[in-house]
Amino acid sequence: MAQYVGRRLLLLVPVILGILLVTFLMKALIPTDAVTAMYQGQLSGKSAEKAIAALQAKYHLDLPWYRQLWFYLSDLAHGNLGESVRLHKPVSAVIGYRYLNTIMLTGAALAIALVLGLTTGIVAAAKRNTWLDVTATTIGLFGISMPAFFFGLLLILVFSVWLRILPVVPHGPLAIVLPAFALGIIEAAPLSQVTRSSMIDVMRRDYIQAARARGASELALTIRHALPNALIVVLTIVGLQIGNLLGGAFIVETIFSWHGIGELAVNAIQWRDFALTQAIILVSAATYLMVNLVADLLYAWLDPRVELTA
Amino acid sequence: MLDRRQFLLGSTAVFGALALTGIVPALAQSGKVAHMRLTIDPEGLYNVQSISLVVSDVLGNYLVESLVYLDEDGKAQPWLAKSWNVADDGKTVTFKLKDGKTFHDGTKFDAAAVKFHFDTIMDPQSASPSKGMIEPLSKVEAPDGETVVFHFSKPFAPFINLMALSYFGFNSPTAVKKEGDSYARNPVGTGPFMFDNWVPGTRIELKRFPDFKQYRPDAKNQGPAHLDGVVLDVLAEEGVVTSALQTGELQAAELTADAILPLKGDPQFEITTDKNAKNLMFLEFDYKKPPFNDHDFRDALSYAIDRESVLAAAYGGNGKIALGPLSRGIPGYDDSVAQKYGTPYDPEKAKSLLDAAGWKEDGGVRAKDGKKAQFSVLSYAGSTTERALAVIQANFADVGVKVDVSTSDWGSFYPRLLKPTWDMDLNRWTWPDPNVMSQLFRSPGHRQLLRADPSIDEPLDKADTTLDTKKRMQYVSDAQKAILEDRRIVPLITDWPITVVREELENYRLDFTGRLYSADLDIAA
Amino acid sequence: MTVAGFDEEITVIPRWRRIGGHMLQSRAACVGATILLILFVLALFAPWIAPYDPFKIDPIHRLAAPSAAHWIGTDEVGRDLASRIIYGTRYFLLICLVTAAISSSIGTLLGLLAGAGSPLVDGVIMRFIDILLAFPYILMVLVVVAVAGPSLWTGMVAVGIAGIPGYARLVRSTVLTVRQEDYVTVARALGASRREILFGTILPNVLSPLIVYLAFATPLSALIASALSFVGLGAQPPAPEWGAMLVNSRTYLFSAWWAVAAPGLALCISIFGMNILGNGLRDVLDPRNA
Repeated sequence: MAQYVGRRLLLLVPVILGILLVTFLMKALIPTDAVTAMYQGQLSGKSAEKAIAALQAKYHLDLPWYRQLWFYLSDLAHGNLGESVRLHKPVSAVIGYRYLNTIMLTGAALAIALVLGLTTGIVAAAKRNTWLDVTATTIGLFGISMPAFFFGLLLILVFSVWLRILPVVPHGPLAIVLPAFALGIIEAAPLSQVTRSSMIDVMRRDYIQAARARGASELALTIRHALPNALIVVLTIVGLQIGNLLGGAFIVETIFSWHGIGELAVNAIQWRDFALTQAIILVSAATYLMVNLVADLLYAWLDPRVELTA
Repeated sequence: MLDRRQFLLGSTAVFGALALTGIVPALAQSGKVAHMRLTIDPEGLYNVQSISLVVSDVLGNYLVESLVYLDEDGKAQPWLAKSWNVADDGKTVTFKLKDGKTFHDGTKFDAAAVKFHFDTIMDPQSASPSKGMIEPLSKVEAPDGETVVFHFSKPFAPFINLMALSYFGFNSPTAVKKEGDSYARNPVGTGPFMFDNWVPGTRIELKRFPDFKQYRPDAKNQGPAHLDGVVLDVLAEEGVVTSALQTGELQAAELTADAILPLKGDPQFEITTDKNAKNLMFLEFDYKKPPFNDHDFRDALSYAIDRESVLAAAYGGNGKIALGPLSRGIPGYDDSVAQKYGTPYDPEKAKSLLDAAGWKEDGGVRAKDGKKAQFSVLSYAGSTTERALAVIQANFADVGVKVDVSTSDWGSFYPRLLKPTWDMDLNRWTWPDPNVMSQLFRSPGHRQLLRADPSIDEPLDKADTTLDTKKRMQYVSDAQKAILEDRRIVPLITDWPITVVREELENYRLDFTGRLYSADLDIAA
Repeated sequence: MTVAGFDEEITVIPRWRRIGGHMLQSRAACVGATILLILFVLALFAPWIAPYDPFKIDPIHRLAAPSAAHWIGTDEVGRDLASRIIYGTRYFLLICLVTAAISSSIGTLLGLLAGAGSPLVDGVIMRFIDILLAFPYILMVLVVVAVAGPSLWTGMVAVGIAGIPGYARLVRSTVLTVRQEDYVTVARALGASRREILFGTILPNVLSPLIVYLAFATPLSALIASALSFVGLGAQPPAPEWGAMLVNSRTYLFSAWWAVAAPGLALCISIFGMNILGNGLRDVLDPRNA
């Protein structure tokens, strides 16, 4: 087990390095840097070029990309993520708070997706091929067919403006409900479908038939015997969905003014603020990789048939 | 050890419950607090480092004060300065300061604080974007506590009026020196509100400065602010802002014409437009490239655009069409020149001018010497520019010129202008002084594409160096005429920014430069 | 093909005939297929079906409510919404086809090579896929667009690249399973070359899970592409691309709802149609769900 974890962690190193390399290569292709993007159209006169050059030198933006990568790696080795050109602040100070916000939002969204996905999946499996099943599937499919920003605005219109039960501006504990719902609904449908099919699969198994023969009620069968086993399958796709949630968060965050790293990422790229962009990419990639590692470990622990081979 | 089944069920339940409660700290605010909208989170609240619109708005409205303000005629009046004197050669300006002002941290506001601000701007180490605005300034002296002397390399006419802008509002030198790089996150000024808290990306909280004294005679409230605090909420999405105004979560917001539609006619909201607006949307060209180096071709295009439709599409009619190259809100705008030398919408004239210039109709799109009249227009992404471009594109198509539109975020747009891969661009600038014309249209221009043309450059230079207002305005007028005759740009519209204020918020007023009288604000009990 | 005899027995063709029959029985799949068919018809015959020129502006009648003259009203510069929606089908289908083609072709190739290649090849490819997966897709799209400049084509390529890992992983795992099957062992014993086995024997058997995945991944790509305009990086004006139309009109949700509802519903219904078709396909091709 420890050996497996060690090997998996070791495999993360080339992936993280690869991500760094890819982004630095792309950066070399992007025609402007943060300083130029920030001051062009604002600075005029002779002092402008000097000022831009001075700032570029300060942030090593005047060097070739591989040297910038070297500077970045040596900073990173000292736990330094660099400094945001636009915000005049160390990157770590900028993203810490926003990262927590995004984790909170994706966590809440995942919870909503799980609650919705599991209940509808279980009900659909139990009432297989009835109108209930068909309706649940259809609504779920429609849910994943809706652009998040469209759905988000509809939610605001209904719950904030018409019903006045949830706030628009992110103040107070209720503020998370709407964005989490808008984000969670997208992932609920696939969860529901996986739950449904694995429930159907499990319910056919011998031990369930045996329990049924012993006179266990259908409800007990579903909750106590079938669900735990179906959840194992669900777990594997939850890991993958974290990636989607992190990616999907950016639109939802923008619409709901939920100030997480998704919203910041869009700004960072528009500002060409590379240290910031790079840090966001690293942090989300690391989160994704770690969540999947944990999901795999849990999967192996929960399902003794799975062998851990890296 | 936990049973696997228990673990799964238990963790699902716990996780769900935890995440759903959402642990967001509730905002504990007491007293009279107004919530206002910010379109984006400011990059830092230090006017030496950042001059973006949002930074100048937050600083100028609440935190910092300037030497002068502009009255409703656009004339400079004493604010923190008591009086000023311009030397006969125009190269020295001496300000006398009023007494008794202190910064939020208790530091005295004096000549040394003024000198410190300009010295920091001029220090190459600070790479200040404000430096370019006061290029001719060479030295600042503070012979005593209430006297500041500005020295220039050549006479600089816009200087006094520029002093009204929040770029030249003052920061506590003590705080700047103490905080160093983090000052931009802890600004200290002399304004009616002081900085309290900043939740990055989310909101900025300000509280009343209890020792505030109002030095502007045109403010209603001469004492400390009525409000206990102001919260500036960062809300990017227009539709969300509309909703937040409806639910009362915001008291005031600047909004696009589209977003105010649901609020119109509702007595809860007062919708005001800033008819002093000093912006101009215009079309310009890559003058180094044929056919845009040809005056007649530019002339033809100038007549092809239906500005009223552009205004309707982009701003819902909020604004005025522009025929002159200077925004009509800026002192020195000459309407008679605009009417006489401007190019009102006349598609027939545009067609005949194109015919005369050798561009022959050829199945919808014109052509000359085998080259089709097909060009690219660049602009920055946004609902207003995209709608304006939709109309312009259709107008040009009507006269047989095809244009392909390409919009991108500002970060890609502006650098693209510096490469020779485009033909036209749609731009919009805001500036309170007529010297905006020299910044943009004097050779070599803001994109280094304009060839020297004495008929334009001379009046512009003279306008910037003539201190006598009457004479200066004559040069400003001459420059407008010359730019129009050259068809250097196609002026399109000036839009009026819209503000929506909820009924409970009283005395929401902006001055000539768009600064809010924030000490006057009050919330009805 | 040297293993022709085996091909005839195991190729997918006979199965496809069965699938056709099942498909007709699946009502969901029929609905989905019908929606898709309508899209194709609208796209092909747009100039004849659309009542107006989709680019013709009319600022005086901007944001006109639905009426006899304009079935679903006009947009913010007075263009006929119905015509724009009809022409928009072309963009929608183009986006689906291009993104699906990029993701599926590259993804399948990488998956085949990883699944059938040496451990080294597999390791390198899978690390590359890990990089793509861990890279937040929306940032990938934004970065690609920042490099190549904004246009619908760069957007589509970027979204296509972001979709590669899903295909690659699916194909790889299927190949790993198929490799153990008897007919592959037999083909190998009969002396078929590596390439012949890979493309002649293994690929056809990867097809059915691939098609199911295609039906689910394509609408997802279309959704992501529609969001590109949200950050100002999508189709360029005045293209009647639904995502761009929706993004540009979204403020009118509270005033001129039709300008928002038209592209919003067009997108929802089309993507729903593809999803439901995918669902039907999966029920047919993956018997465990039946």
